[in-house]
Amino acid sequence: MGYKFSKEEMASIFSKLAEDYDVFAPVVKKGDGTFSDVDVVRYDKVSSLDEIEFEKKSDYSFKEALLPINETIFYFTEDETTVPKGPAKERLVFLRACDLNAVKRLDQIYLKNGFEDFYYKRTREMTKFVLMGCKESCTSGFCVSMGTNTTDEYDLYLKLDGDNAYVEAKDEKLAEAFKSGNEEAVSPDFVSENPTKVTLPKNITPETMKSELFKEYGNRCINCGRCNFVCPTCTCFTMQDIFYKDNEKNGERRRVWASCQVDGYTEIAGGHGFRSDNADRMRFKVMHKIHDFEKRFGYHMCVGCGRCDDVCPEYISYSNLVNRLGKECE
Amino acid sequence: MKNEYIPQLSEIKEVIKHTDLEYTFRMAFDGEVKPGQFFEISIPKYGEAPISVSGIGDGLVDFTIRRVGKVTDEVFENYVGDKLFIRGPYGNGFDINNYKGNEIVIIGGGTGVSPMRGVIQHFAKNPTDAVSTTVIAGFKSPDDVLFKKDFEEWSKTINVIKTVDNAPEEYDGPTGMVTKYIPDLKFQDIKNAVFICVGPPIMIKFTIMEIQKLGVADEQIWTSYERKMCCGLGKCGHCKMDDKYVCLDGPVFNYTEAKELFD
Amino acid sequence: MSLDINTKKAKKNAWRITKERGIGASRIRVPGGYCDAEVLGMVQEIAQTYGNGYVHLTTRQGFEIEGIHLEDMEEVNKKLQPIIEKVGINQNGEDKDKGYSASGTRNVSACIGNNVCPFANYNTSNLARRIDKEIFPNDLHFKVACTGCSNDCAKVRMHDFGIIGQTMPQYDPMRCVSCNACVKGCQSLSVGALRLENYKIVRDTEKCIGCGVCVTKCPTRAWTRSEKKYYKLTIMGRTGKKNPRLGKDWLIWADEDNIVKIIKNTYAFVEEYISPNAPARKEHIGYIIDRVGFEKFKEYALKDVELMPETIMNNTVYWDGIHFDNQH
Repeated sequence: MGYKFSKEEMASIFSKLAEDYDVFAPVVKKGDGTFSDVDVVRYDKVSSLDEIEFEKKSDYSFKEALLPINETIFYFTEDETTVPKGPAKERLVFLRACDLNAVKRLDQIYLKNGFEDFYYKRTREMTKFVLMGCKESCTSGFCVSMGTNTTDEYDLYLKLDGDNAYVEAKDEKLAEAFKSGNEEAVSPDFVSENPTKVTLPKNITPETMKSELFKEYGNRCINCGRCNFVCPTCTCFTMQDIFYKDNEKNGERRRVWASCQVDGYTEIAGGHGFRSDNADRMRFKVMHKIHDFEKRFGYHMCVGCGRCDDVCPEYISYSNLVNRLGKECE
Repeated sequence: MKNEYIPQLSEIKEVIKHTDLEYTFRMAFDGEVKPGQFFEISIPKYGEAPISVSGIGDGLVDFTIRRVGKVTDEVFENYVGDKLFIRGPYGNGFDINNYKGNEIVIIGGGTGVSPMRGVIQHFAKNPTDAVSTTVIAGFKSPDDVLFKKDFEEWSKTINVIKTVDNAPEEYDGPTGMVTKYIPDLKFQDIKNAVFICVGPPIMIKFTIMEIQKLGVADEQIWTSYERKMCCGLGKCGHCKMDDKYVCLDGPVFNYTEAKELFD
Repeated sequence: MSLDINTKKAKKNAWRITKERGIGASRIRVPGGYCDAEVLGMVQEIAQTYGNGYVHLTTRQGFEIEGIHLEDMEEVNKKLQPIIEKVGINQNGEDKDKGYSASGTRNVSACIGNNVCPFANYNTSNLARRIDKEIFPNDLHFKVACTGCSNDCAKVRMHDFGIIGQTMPQYDPMRCVSCNACVKGCQSLSVGALRLENYKIVRDTEKCIGCGVCVTKCPTRAWTRSEKKYYKLTIMGRTGKKNPRLGKDWLIWADEDNIVKIIKNTYAFVEEYISPNAPARKEHIGYIIDRVGFEKFKEYALKDVELMPETIMNNTVYWDGIHFDNQH
């Protein structure tokens, strides 16, 4: 059911919701960008509607709301382990269509690839998603090419338009909060065209893996991992055991985001690494996004949000790489 | 819901020294384990490392650990009676039934012998389960040989070629790479042969090239991969190769699959 | 008719009296070296109408329009008015259409700063303009320069006052993925103040120079810049015939307001202690300090200055450099 409110009414409803839920949304962090006096848009907990950045695409994806960058798996002593408590409150995560499609990819890995992940699951079960529409396409995204420009997996759709606010509440419990509004048909804004278009390679063969393109782009890569860290579908982590300085037998085990482009990702005890060459790392990442994942799960991993292209300090365009690879495979 | 990340405490029952660098830890474990599977073992002050099972006993499981990297050093300072956190077993392991009734050739390099030890043991104890069983094991030097007693025992019932890359002049055993001994293998029917090959990546590559020269089909070759793993549960992503997760779909692969896997 | 020109006055009106009799050059300082490109067209017009068609880009980031007949000075001064306004020179009200008072105090120069440069920690041209407003017109020989980071592309250590941008790196361990990019960056590009301990970064606060390399290298925003902007103030660097020397660190993690105050306060110090024999009242401040002592300088410079608690002040500063002056 859809409802219309004034922006003020919506703000006050939101403030009340934020008491019941932990709300995670894109926020402008003033001056926290890579360079001086440059902002960054990333996710954080918010308590009022005006903290949320509705216009700009977030530089970092929503995934940290479900998968913390650092997550304590357990605390340990010599002979015992203690698992930290999960989220105390239900959470609302504001995101766009591309990102909501990415949630399906996270679920795939963390819930349906072999074992169920205890930590992801307990947070995921407490999470509802609030869709932010896209009235216009961003420049780097290619969600239409990836079929991720639309979604109906949201629990709530929320749109601000001048002095008005609109919601569509699919979740019954959330809908309660909006019953006071004027009923009006509301449907999400989805884009139907992007300036960036990507044609995925067909007929990928073992020869594709040897494409010179991976060498070309690999040579430009500086292994910073930004493309992975901003990606809403990258889910890799590394385990770290931290031993407390004052009692080295006690500590905690954490999992921490990892990047297949950063040194050490494939290194085993003794120092042997399986992908020391950047071309191999580039191939590994790209193939995972547009081939391997699909081979295993039946749909592509990449949701075409374009963040990796936006963030790369070396101006490596993954979307262009894929298009060029597509042409090579014709 | 079960939290797969939580390890259990396991007592070190026995420590067997093979070389200055390699030891086998016999640890308490109740549960089903297959050769070729692995456990994540927590090393005090360092962290977890995936270590393959090198032996399976009643309420016991063996881990043969080479003292490399920061992770595995610490284990060697633990002694009988101490406890370590372990979780597992993970991975598919070797299925003995895939090899029964065949002419089996098992080729291992260094610690690569460990995951196959259970398989070798089975056919050494039950030689009639196979038409024939041959083990070709390669080590760097006589001082690096693992499972010395096992080799003596095994050679009573199956063919064993234990070769070393470098040997002092007076050494009277076989020398050279494992690949040297492949062309001379005799088969009643090559179509009935199976090969299992585990070792460092470069050794696997050249061994399989040598095996293929015998006119063996890909289906007849098996291998096991060692990759970085942080979870063993198909989550951390480090061991992914193409569409496969070594921790879930491997570490044992038939070569029909393995040949498609790129690092 | 012979030319009858007050050259002293002309020089204080930003004119150069050249080697060639009757020919001068119009000097236009550009605070911070940053200006609207429209100015270039205006400079071009003057150069082609009154000058010989050539312009020198001065070492202190100004324009010198060459080959102007001294009898055209007044007319050229009128033409300078829109330029003066555009580049933000602090002109006296009564000087409108008459050029501007130039003086012993030199143009405040600056690197490109954070308008453009990824390494810079502040807007150098804005600060240069602010200082221009505060210290001009002033006749004493002061050289001030602003640089965005410790790379010191503006060579501020060759100045009486060098202002080097700093940031106090802010670390959020919960965003850190132990990728080591900051550690490697600090090691190779800066002073090696970072190390990894227990998978998190430890910053050696004694060593850290606030260059911000860690912030630019961080892929997850674990490192960010401090909200407050910080500056290192280096003092009394100089070139010259007697004792060229590099400026030394005096204040570290200082703030903009106090730095401006200190520069202004120093004028009173120089007024008081400048050598009566100084030619054209030009004596390098460093020499004055050499003569009267650093404590005296501090007394003047720090008048009404309340430094922030985090500001580090070196209580004594010694200079070396090359001595050609046989002074011991």
